[in-house]
Amino acid sequence: MSTPGTTVLPDGGLRSPGPGLITLDPDHTALLRGLDELLAGLAVRLSAPEVVGPPLLSVDGLARLDFFRNFPHLGVSAGRFEPEALDGLAAGEAPAGLPLRPTGYLLPSATCYGLLLSLEGRDVGAEGLRLSATGRCFRNETRFDGLRRLWGFHMREVLHLGTKQGALEHLEQGAEFVRELAGRLGLDLTRAVADDPFYDRGGSRARLMALDPVKHEFSAPDGTAIASVNRHRNFFGERLGIRAGSEGPAYSACVAFGVERWVHAMVLAHGTPARALDRLREAGA
Amino acid sequence: MERIAEWLHEKNPGLDGPIGPDEDLIEARLIDSMDFLEFVDLLEELSGRSIDLQEVTIDDFRTLARVRERFLSAAG
Repeated sequence: MSTPGTTVLPDGGLRSPGPGLITLDPDHTALLRGLDELLAGLAVRLSAPEVVGPPLLSVDGLARLDFFRNFPHLGVSAGRFEPEALDGLAAGEAPAGLPLRPTGYLLPSATCYGLLLSLEGRDVGAEGLRLSATGRCFRNETRFDGLRRLWGFHMREVLHLGTKQGALEHLEQGAEFVRELAGRLGLDLTRAVADDPFYDRGGSRARLMALDPVKHEFSAPDGTAIASVNRHRNFFGERLGIRAGSEGPAYSACVAFGVERWVHAMVLAHGTPARALDRLREAGA
Repeated sequence: MERIAEWLHEKNPGLDGPIGPDEDLIEARLIDSMDFLEFVDLLEELSGRSIDLQEVTIDDFRTLARVRERFLSAAG
C-alpha cells in the first residue's frame, strides 16, 4: 500500500470565483488556521468558552440592534428563488437576474451579533460571561482589495457581558494580548481611535462616536486594521434584556480579529507566505 | 435644567426618580447615541447659542452639573 504524495496545485494556482472572493491556497490556509489558533489564546487566557455562532441572523433581531439604521449598506441577504423561477432554472435558464424572495435572514456581518442575540433575556450574573467564536462574516463593500477587503472573511471575537468595570477590564486585557501576540509574531502595530463604517456619517451616532470613541483599532504598517477593541456600553444589554445580576442591563465589550487581515499582515511583515509560516510556527512553539 | 430633566425622562421612560447632578449620562446611555444631536439642539434652544461640535468634548455632556456649567451658565 502506498501513501499518496503531497498534491501540487496546478499551474496558475486556484481561481478566484469573483470580486472579493478568494480560495486560500494551502500556505495561506495554514496561516489562517494557525493564526486563529493563536488568537484563540485570548479566549483561553480569559476562560471564554468556544462556541459556534449561527450561520444566519434574523432581520428582526438585527433591526432591534439598530443594525439597519447604522449599516443598511453592509447587509448580505440570504434569498431564495421565487417558486415561479424554479421550473426555468431546472430547464437550464441562466440564474442571473431571476427573482429572489427575501428569507428574513442575513449572513452575519460580525461574529458577536449572533452570540448577543442568543443571550436575549438571559441573566449573565454580576461576574459576567465571556464567549469566543470564529465565524465567517460578510459585508457588501464598494471595493475589494486582496485579503485586506473581502466580501466574506473570518472574524474571531472574544465577547464579554457583565458590569461596566468588567467590560473595561476585558478590553484592557484584550489590548494587552494583541500587543504581546504582535511582538511574538514580529508585527508592528499602531493603535488608534477608529470609527465604524456608518452609512450616515453626519448622523447622531457617528457624531457622538467622534466625540467619545468606543472603538480602537490596531493597524499594520500599511494601514490595514487587523484587530479592534469595542465597548458597547449597555446598549445590547438594554435592547436584548440581558441582565448582569442586580446591576441591571449588562455592559458588553468585544475584542475582534479579522483573521485574513492577520494573514495579510504576516506576509507583509515577513515577505512571503512560507517565511510567515516559519515565524508563526516559532511563535506557536 | 427642568427642561433637560424632562427630556431625559421622556427618552428614558423606565427611569425612576430624579437624575443626580453628577450621574454619568453618557456611560449609562441616558442620552442614547441616536438622540445625541436632538440633545444638542435642546441645549442650543435653551442657551440661545449654537454649539460647535468641533469645540466641545464628551465630558461637556457627561453630567447635568457639567452641562449647566458649560452651556447654560452666563459665563459658559
